Amino acid sequence: MSAAPLLELRAVAKSFGGARALRGVDFTLQAGEVHALLGENGAGKSTLIKIVTGAHQPDAGTLAVGGERLSHLTPAKARALGIACIYQQPALFPDLTVAENIGLRLEAGTSLRTIDWAARGARALELLRRLGAEIEPDAEVRSLSMPEQQLVEIACALGAGARIVIMDEPTASLTQKEQHLLFTVVRDLRASGVGVIYISHRLEEIFALADRVTVLRDGESVGTHPVSSINEAGLIRLMVGREMTQIYPPGEATLGAPVLSLRGVGCTASGVHGVSLEVRAGEILGLAGLVGAGRTELARVLFGLTPADAGTIELNGEPVVLRSPQAAVAHGLAYVPEDRRRHGVVLEMPIAENMTMAVHRRMFPGAWLRFGAERSLALDYIRDLAVKCTGPDAAGGSLSGGNQQKVSLARWLATRPKVLILDEPTQGVDVGAKGEIHKIVRRLAQEGLAVLLISSDLPEVLGMSDRIGIMRGGTITAVLPGNADAPTVMSAALGQSEKGAA
Amino acid sequence: MSAPVQTSRWKAIVLRHETALLAVVVIEWLCFNAIGPRFGSLDNTFDILRHSVEIGLLALVMTPVILTGGIDLSVGSLLGLCAILFGKLWRDAGLSPLTAGGCTLVIGALAGGLNAGLITGLRLPPLIVTLGTYSLFRGLAEAITRGADTFTNFPASFLFLGQERWLGLPTQAWLFGAVAAGVWLLVHRTTFGRSFRAIGFSPEGARYAGLPVQRRLTLVYVLAGVIAALAAVIYTARLGQAKADAATGYELFAITAVVLGGTSIFGGVGTVHGTLLGVAAIAVLNNGLVHARQPREVAGMLTGALLLLALSGSVAPKLWAAWRARSRPSPPPTPSSTTS
Amino acid sequence: MNRYFRELSVAGALLLVLAVMAIFAPGFFQPQPLLSLATREAPTLVVACGMALVIIGRQIDISVGSQFAVCSVCAGLLAAQNVPTALVALAAVTLGAGLGAINGLLVAGLRLPSIVVTLATMVTWREALRWQRQGAFVNLPDSLQWLGLSQSAGQWTLVGLAVALLAVLAYVTRHISAGRLVYAVGTDAEAARLAGIRPQVVTFGTFVLLGTLTGLAAMMNVVQSPQVDPKSGTGLELKAIAAVVVGGVAISGGRGRLWGVFAGLLLLACVAPALTHLHVEAYWEKAIQGAIILLAVVADGVRSRKSNR
Repeated sequence: MSAAPLLELRAVAKSFGGARALRGVDFTLQAGEVHALLGENGAGKSTLIKIVTGAHQPDAGTLAVGGERLSHLTPAKARALGIACIYQQPALFPDLTVAENIGLRLEAGTSLRTIDWAARGARALELLRRLGAEIEPDAEVRSLSMPEQQLVEIACALGAGARIVIMDEPTASLTQKEQHLLFTVVRDLRASGVGVIYISHRLEEIFALADRVTVLRDGESVGTHPVSSINEAGLIRLMVGREMTQIYPPGEATLGAPVLSLRGVGCTASGVHGVSLEVRAGEILGLAGLVGAGRTELARVLFGLTPADAGTIELNGEPVVLRSPQAAVAHGLAYVPEDRRRHGVVLEMPIAENMTMAVHRRMFPGAWLRFGAERSLALDYIRDLAVKCTGPDAAGGSLSGGNQQKVSLARWLATRPKVLILDEPTQGVDVGAKGEIHKIVRRLAQEGLAVLLISSDLPEVLGMSDRIGIMRGGTITAVLPGNADAPTVMSAALGQSEKGAA
Repeated sequence: MSAPVQTSRWKAIVLRHETALLAVVVIEWLCFNAIGPRFGSLDNTFDILRHSVEIGLLALVMTPVILTGGIDLSVGSLLGLCAILFGKLWRDAGLSPLTAGGCTLVIGALAGGLNAGLITGLRLPPLIVTLGTYSLFRGLAEAITRGADTFTNFPASFLFLGQERWLGLPTQAWLFGAVAAGVWLLVHRTTFGRSFRAIGFSPEGARYAGLPVQRRLTLVYVLAGVIAALAAVIYTARLGQAKADAATGYELFAITAVVLGGTSIFGGVGTVHGTLLGVAAIAVLNNGLVHARQPREVAGMLTGALLLLALSGSVAPKLWAAWRARSRPSPPPTPSSTTS
Repeated sequence: MNRYFRELSVAGALLLVLAVMAIFAPGFFQPQPLLSLATREAPTLVVACGMALVIIGRQIDISVGSQFAVCSVCAGLLAAQNVPTALVALAAVTLGAGLGAINGLLVAGLRLPSIVVTLATMVTWREALRWQRQGAFVNLPDSLQWLGLSQSAGQWTLVGLAVALLAVLAYVTRHISAGRLVYAVGTDAEAARLAGIRPQVVTFGTFVLLGTLTGLAAMMNVVQSPQVDPKSGTGLELKAIAAVVVGGVAISGGRGRLWGVFAGLLLLACVAPALTHLHVEAYWEKAIQGAIILLAVVADGVRSRKSNR
């Protein structure tokens, strides 16, 4: 292509405090291409995106859009240039209606202009219909599901006539059907000459969708390749800088007695109903299903965050009532939540304090803190789980995603649980740490822990589980053996096998 | 360990907020001592102590409240209400001051429980709940006294608590010391304090860690109620009278002392000794200005200004860094890394 | 659920109070006392409108009472120097805007929490005023009394001005872009920034507007009486916040309508005279207002819990 690229970054660098997030990255985006951006967590992808959208200013380097060099990009200027970003967590206004959300982004003019509500509504409706989305413009955004909110974001980008569309892990919370819809939208955008920067941890999506891929590692670009000239192993090698031989540790499970058994468990508030399940000591039970199938909701029921109002829960054959997380912890349940930054780790507190947070009663009899004991416990877990940190006093927020996940895991291992519920333990975790977490989980199961593994990463469920429970519509619809193949699990999750039976 | 670690630790202690505040208190003391000859006397020191006990008590219990990310605007009004009820229990119900005091503490606990119930039970923001009870408690005090009734002529045995000395110190100073030690231990040496911080940083994170968030918050607000009631009894003993407008605006002084003491208004960060220094800074300023023959209003004005200054100071480094980052021009790209 | 439910329920409560009064104390409905009541509450309505915008923008300002007093006293002092009334009004409004700008700078510029900032400015202005005046009232010249208490034309003017301002602001918050930006910032400041809005500017603007309206309210108050009390405006912040919260504006920002605030203020304003007419002692007014605030917040809390389920 002879024309100036749509977007060109040269030697862009950015530091936060002492940490260098980007150290001289080059990146180009042509019109009508889908350019995937890949890298471990903390490789600098989000920083790069924030520089392109004007949310951050680079410390060094240049940024040019359509060949025109820009010195001081603000979010407003970026928007005017046709740069739109669809975030993982849509940045919408929950209290405002869909139409107003779209209008706020699209309507130009001074802040003194009069608002034409009818035109706003009509425009929103038109854009949403173009995406095939069945969303009422009058609905408040807080009442929409996460994928619906993403569609509203995309509608904004469409309406703005964006030339550069950035998608930051757009499929992380989408169902299969919604993913296909999204892929169609992305391909339409590309066909109309839009440049798309596509960020994802899922390699298969990159191969399905992207034209070129750039891999970031430690704030540096380690290469841009046409997708046709590289394979999965090659990409992983670029990301981690070494060959990954075997991602999933082998498991020889020696199953013990049932530890956790559920009979007809339900919770009206969270839509979980009629769940019957049994997890044995030493077993990893994978829970597969589409987003919204009720897996996290079931975990929250078991952990007493939204207590069950139907059925019985038995631990080691004893019926128990779990009305609060404290009760669940007391009965030997542990829950490593999905959102580690909000729920898994208190970012501002030291690692040691994070690790002992669930064992206050046992570690500190009479509520008196024992700093020595705390420190030695933290040091033990830092060593056992190979947490990369400067020491037990380092703040949780100073760690990378994978290491935060290990701290979250350590907090729950310290409770010496009987049942460990892991919710998306490797989501957003880089490939290296992912393998380590898998090994830890396998080892724990071999030591006799009952593990409930919730994961949307199908290879992970298949590779780790001794049995696979399928959830759909708030209940368990099937339990498959651990050696089931991917199509079987996927079709069960989609409810196709049932349809055939009925 | 090695020398650099030692020096950085010393540097950290010197640069601490509390150290700076201690210096401020000492400088205040020296300045006022130079102006008024009577300022540094033992009598006046005790006077400062007596006057700062009630605000000090409120500031002490406000510290855990703010650590959890909350606020309690109702403590001043509750002090007023409790003072009235104490007077009522003693004069009209005929209870001994000791029994009446005990009942007042229970009433304080119930009032704190009202705040706690609304905040934890219905998940309402503490700001607006305590703004409501701020109005409610003061309104009840006015309604009970019909705006005019005051309680006086307390027995000398009761006034001993507020006006005399015991073992060489003002009597209430012993109570204050005990509460200060208790709150310090609670916040810095127990799992309760640890929970307060966790809740202040991330209430959801604390809940997911299995911490009893609602119970801890309840404790914090009930404690605030009880100590406000204790402060009411001491206040009544010090002045020898109880009126409906007792301790108007004390919540501001308490919050000022806490924020001045380095506690983050956003929760999570803060120390009890910082709060004590904050109380000292305000108390010395107030008393010193009186000795310097300045009207009381100047002290109030300066307290407000001091709070703004402390707040601005706490965000100044962050803003300065952000400003520098923005104003620094980006250098031209290094040609070595281009690959065309 | 009906999206006007909250406003309608306040209006319903107001009608209920009026119905109770009609049955048990019909003496309440006399034109002249009601007009006087409306005149007394007109400045509060003006302040409450500004407060509503600040709270919709997810901030709060508890220094309006002190701002009100400062503006009142300054207006009174200027009037006593025989400055023309129009200039006095201009000065009061400008001073209010300036005081609002100070809060706005501290909150928006330094990103400090508004509750603490305005707590500090509340005390600072109030104490500065007490120091300056030492409790002395300002006597006003007769020339300023053209809107005096007894003249019903003057009273209608004040009430009309307040209601007109309410109508204008209600229109602006619904149909003018700048008004909607306040809602956007209140519901999510970070999303607003990403959408190209400058939340700091919007926040600053709401504080300046509230200051300006407070200055105007002070002027509306000054022309009603022959003297200015340096303690005037004490508790005004609470009345305004109460009206806003009772009127259905979410204290967490982003939600609420000015007409609801109007209904909330009317409801609260009826409490004191209603008490008098029902032979309850007026000392209960403050306690009942506190209880109404709590009731409104509790109602909101219960509703939002239900809708989240």
